[in-house]
Amino acid sequence: MLSMKNISKVYQSELVETHALREFNLQVSEGEFVVVTGPSGSGKTTFLNVAGLLEGFSQGEYLLDGVDVSSVSDNESARIRNEKIGFIFQGFNLIPDLNLAENIEVPLRYRGFDSKERKRRVEQALEQVGLASRLKHLPPQLSGGQQQRVAIARALAGEPRFLLADEPTGNLDSLMARQVMELLENINQAGTTIIMVTHDPELARRAQRNVQIVDGQVCDFTSYQKSRSTTSTTAEPA
Amino acid sequence: MRNIKPIISSLLRSKSGPVLLLTQIVLSVAIVANASFIISERLALIDRPSGIAEAQVLSFRVYNFDPAMDLRKQNQQDQLILRDLPGVIAATSTNMVPLSGSGWGDRYVDGPDPETAKSLPGFSFYMGNEHMLNTFGVKLVEGRNFYPEEIKMGPAAKSQTALITKSIAEAHWGDESPLGKVVYQQDIAITIVGVIERLQGAWVDSSNFEYSVIQAVDFGGAMSSTTYLVRAKPQDIAQLKLDIPKALHLENPNRVIDEFYTVAEHRGHSYSNHELMAALLSVMIVLLLLITSLGLTGMVMFNIQRRTKQIGTRRALGARKADIVWYFLTENYVICAAGAVIGVVAASQLGQQLMNHYSLPQLAWQYPAVTVLGLFVVTTLAVILPARRAADIPPSLATRSV
Ligand SMILES: Nc1ncnc2c1ncn2[C@@H]1O[C@H](COP(=O)(O)OP(=O)(O)O)[C@@H](O)[C@H]1O
Ligand SMILES: [Mg+2]
Repeated sequence: MLSMKNISKVYQSELVETHALREFNLQVSEGEFVVVTGPSGSGKTTFLNVAGLLEGFSQGEYLLDGVDVSSVSDNESARIRNEKIGFIFQGFNLIPDLNLAENIEVPLRYRGFDSKERKRRVEQALEQVGLASRLKHLPPQLSGGQQQRVAIARALAGEPRFLLADEPTGNLDSLMARQVMELLENINQAGTTIIMVTHDPELARRAQRNVQIVDGQVCDFTSYQKSRSTTSTTAEPA
Repeated sequence: MRNIKPIISSLLRSKSGPVLLLTQIVLSVAIVANASFIISERLALIDRPSGIAEAQVLSFRVYNFDPAMDLRKQNQQDQLILRDLPGVIAATSTNMVPLSGSGWGDRYVDGPDPETAKSLPGFSFYMGNEHMLNTFGVKLVEGRNFYPEEIKMGPAAKSQTALITKSIAEAHWGDESPLGKVVYQQDIAITIVGVIERLQGAWVDSSNFEYSVIQAVDFGGAMSSTTYLVRAKPQDIAQLKLDIPKALHLENPNRVIDEFYTVAEHRGHSYSNHELMAALLSVMIVLLLLITSLGLTGMVMFNIQRRTKQIGTRRALGARKADIVWYFLTENYVICAAGAVIGVVAASQLGQQLMNHYSLPQLAWQYPAVTVLGLFVVTTLAVILPARRAADIPPSLATRSV
């Protein structure tokens, strides 16, 4: 359902050329929970951005849900992000002057849902993350863990095929981190494909599949987990 | 517009920024609406036709210093000389020059008994001979011009004839023809023999500016200085300014001939205050709109700066570039609309004050309406460029900025 073949991503600045992804290959199947780890600067965020159509790429082939997305228009990629992908960010990225319900509604409004449908989805999503009673609160009135759960609700409300999370627990203490991880695991159980970048070895260990990125390439250091894992990994060696 | 509600709630939750802008828009509407109204009032004043062939009518003064001179005889002689000059279409002596800012005024009553007689409107009081009509180039719509033998030498003659403007006739007699009516100037009986379509007086700000009378009196020679009006084609005027002194000095060198101005030039002087006022107010309007649009642009740029991460996030969540542009346009339209509503109220309040203190007419509703429309255009122009820049904020900013 996500297939990257020989993807390269080069950042060109005046002085240097950074090869953030080189000959990057990865297949992710429906329903997987993939944890991506790797040293800082190795290209994890770049990979997520390319996967989530937040950025284009220089070379290679990327099929998302069977569709070649290498040359979709700006409006079309906005539509795909809106309908198929839920994003969870390290910094939560809630809009501070919108209340929780309004925050969750943001992608739903871009989708063109009417107010009844929006209301239904907002309530359902907040229910899912256990914050049903806080509709009218503003984000700064919540703890970090709660804010991240709202952000997850916002990602879920669109009923996406994918959740892409870039260090979603990076700004949380370990207790809250574990709660968020459990929430993501439940969501995955319910059928949503999740790709999550993390630094936290404990969380990485809990994942069904662990992909390590080093220097812009997938590194298959996970044979140990692979052998214990029930599903097979399709990560190709560097 | 389906995203207007969260924009409003977001605006209501933000602090001073929109309030400042709102105030600016309220003031802009109030001031621009009234200023443009005043400008158009002034321009309408300036635009009123005088009835006179302004560019063709040259006025000048002759100061006679010869103690032995028979002033009245000299005046008759001088008029003949003027009419003989090449290029001169008509010439007359006069007691006053239209639109010059100085002149004579009077008022008739419609009967001999001061107890029962009713007053006609006050008028500008021209004294001239049978050449005056043609010199002004005004149009006679009823009756006749003076006969040469009707012209009196001096204003105090017992019975006289007069031409009045249609405006006076309509003000006093309505539709009834004024021809043959006898009116009274103190104890002098005056018969109305003709009606002039239009002839303005000397004072552009007078409420009687449109009311004028020409009485059949040759005023020239009544004093040692005499004012003359000469009509010629505009291209001949410059030459006449040289030929006239030459010809009159040849007749008698003992005098100063000076103050050559066309009626068009008098108009320019008389309305210069109005023109200055209109120009100043126009500059003020432009400055105000400029400041408002700068304020709008500034606020949008500030908001974009403040919300870069939010914009990136919105893009990541599925906003198209057009959605981002619309977000900022809508946000500022909301402020503009709120400002417009308060501004229109403020404009009519201000208009009321101006009406009371400066005797202006009531502010016409079109002015606030057009001002509000203009402000929406200004808002669009001021917001669209920075908003398009905001739309270029990449969605990857959502993950790249912390
Ligand atoms: N916009 C950019 N312009 C230039 N270089 C960039 C940009 N974004 C990321 N990089 C570089 O690309 C490499 C990979 O970055 P990133 O994907 O953010 O790493 P990670 O998320 O694994 O820490 C790094 O060397 C980083 O400096
Ligand atoms: Mg990163």
